[in-house]
Amino acid sequence: MPAREDVDYDSLVKEDRVHISLYTDPAIFSDEMDKIFHRGWVYVGHRGEIPKRGDFRLKRIGLQPVIMVRDQNGQVQLLLNRCRHRGATVCQEGQGNSRSFRCMYHGWTYQLSGELSGVPSMEAYGDDFKREELGLVKVPRVSEYRGFIFASLSPAGITLEEHLGRAKDELDLFVGLSDAEDVEAVSGIHKYSYQGNWKLAAENSMDGYHPAIVHASFAQALVDKITHIPTPEQERINRDFSSFRGNTKDLGNGHVMLDYKLRIYDALNADPTPAVTAVSSEGQAHLEELTRCFGQERAANMLREGGTHSFIFPNLILIGIQMRVLQPLSADRTEVCLYPTLLKWLSPEVNTIRLRSHEAFFGSASFGGPDDSEIFERVQDGCAVELEPWQLISRGLHRERHEDGVIIGDLADEVTQRGIWRHWKKVMMQGIGATRSTRKRGPGAIAGKRG
Amino acid sequence: MAFDRYQVEQFLYHEAQLMDEHRFDEWLALWTEPALYWVPSNRDEIDPGREVSLIYDDWVRLQLRITRLKSGFAHAQEPRSRMRRVVSNVVVEEAGNGEIVAHSNFLLAELRRGKQDLFAGRTIHRLRPHNGSFKLVTKKVLLVNNDEPIDNLTFLI
Repeated sequence: MPAREDVDYDSLVKEDRVHISLYTDPAIFSDEMDKIFHRGWVYVGHRGEIPKRGDFRLKRIGLQPVIMVRDQNGQVQLLLNRCRHRGATVCQEGQGNSRSFRCMYHGWTYQLSGELSGVPSMEAYGDDFKREELGLVKVPRVSEYRGFIFASLSPAGITLEEHLGRAKDELDLFVGLSDAEDVEAVSGIHKYSYQGNWKLAAENSMDGYHPAIVHASFAQALVDKITHIPTPEQERINRDFSSFRGNTKDLGNGHVMLDYKLRIYDALNADPTPAVTAVSSEGQAHLEELTRCFGQERAANMLREGGTHSFIFPNLILIGIQMRVLQPLSADRTEVCLYPTLLKWLSPEVNTIRLRSHEAFFGSASFGGPDDSEIFERVQDGCAVELEPWQLISRGLHRERHEDGVIIGDLADEVTQRGIWRHWKKVMMQGIGATRSTRKRGPGAIAGKRG
Repeated sequence: MAFDRYQVEQFLYHEAQLMDEHRFDEWLALWTEPALYWVPSNRDEIDPGREVSLIYDDWVRLQLRITRLKSGFAHAQEPRSRMRRVVSNVVVEEAGNGEIVAHSNFLLAELRRGKQDLFAGRTIHRLRPHNGSFKLVTKKVLLVNNDEPIDNLTFLI
């Protein structure tokens, strides 16, 4: 698919509407992979997924396969998964622990840090063979914040700090102010895919307008629990849901969030809810700091079922206790991985309730997520209607508030969708006329597991 | 105690038919407390206290699952999946307390929105004798594809 440097993005993304071709056009998808996913900062994984030396997981930056590995020195490395000799992938499993990576075509072997350590019958190469220059290719830029590992395939550009901006506060809250090594992300992965564009999941994840309709069945289950299974939590659930308020926020750089203080995901759990306690002095300090900032009840809720509801442009979503990663596969196919997290300093009972709360709403068999995916597929189907090719994102446009560089709206306003699209357009238009940094690949080339 | 293998098989076939035909109330009536309806994620053997499952329903969650499916707003099942499954390779063993554990394999064809998917796995039922048949105490489903993307598992498995 040829690149479309001629796309007039300005005419396709308006303040109050977006054009359906942005969800369907393979050439635009190809352009997105280059400008957003290969040149910009993207989220790759968390340090807590690979706690031990030799632990690795297969990831992808845009469409390019990457090994995220903790090397012999405990350093996190991002290595492109491709032998430097004749190009086979050197790592096949989605996750595991290894002492090295070996290509099973001719036996070239690489250390966990990427260096080429073994070449069978190396004497057949001449004096100009430089083993030290033939390690697995390292991702040009890797940067980390609280254990969240971001990367860019472009050697130059803004820093991660500049990219994250105000979103850093949300990363802080997601992990309950924990240190990077306190976050455990080895509790399994919920994986699903849908027949639709990746941006549908981004927009929907920060949509405060849809829950009453899309998640009416979850609400029905909740009402049923309150009505027919009297519990000490009944009063609390009633109170929370009747006083539900919140805001949409555009934090800048495409990072957006829903700001609310409702307990949702643990509402279907058996009672009583375990008290939140720390099992280490460092954890106790984090708990006290959260309590100081948010009060005891809110701090406990943040640790039981999640502290933020945020989208970090372009591919990381923090909801509940999960890190959700969007993996575009083609213009109309997307894979999603949910990584539930535990915190080392929380009691085992609280960590378990985090998982049970997550399972209620998220994953392929849950009471929430599959209904969202169903809607994505209906929207993608709707994109076949070209006679009126626009989607509206104008809700609350007339009443946006600007406070310290943050755009704020009511919880059901489309401030968040506008925030994502505004930045998307900026990035896509910046690249026009620039030299292409990476070679294009068709979506058909995708295969293999991610961990 | 002695058990009647034929009776166990009949129970499994009956349960399969109720699931295939979305007969939610009749399926729910097969269960008894303390229920556990469990579909592990990623691997067959996990620690559910520290690792996520696709389904980990206790007695309360199980009833709410049915409430949701019957609500008319479970969009991922509107329209509903068309399904037929084969249950086979049944191995039955006594489990103490008069209870029985049945291991079986299943193969399920599921059709929705013009796309037919194939699910396969092994199911472990723990059954308690009751009025000439059984009550379902726990059910664990080991999906062949539990480490792959599963787009929609909102029907009964």
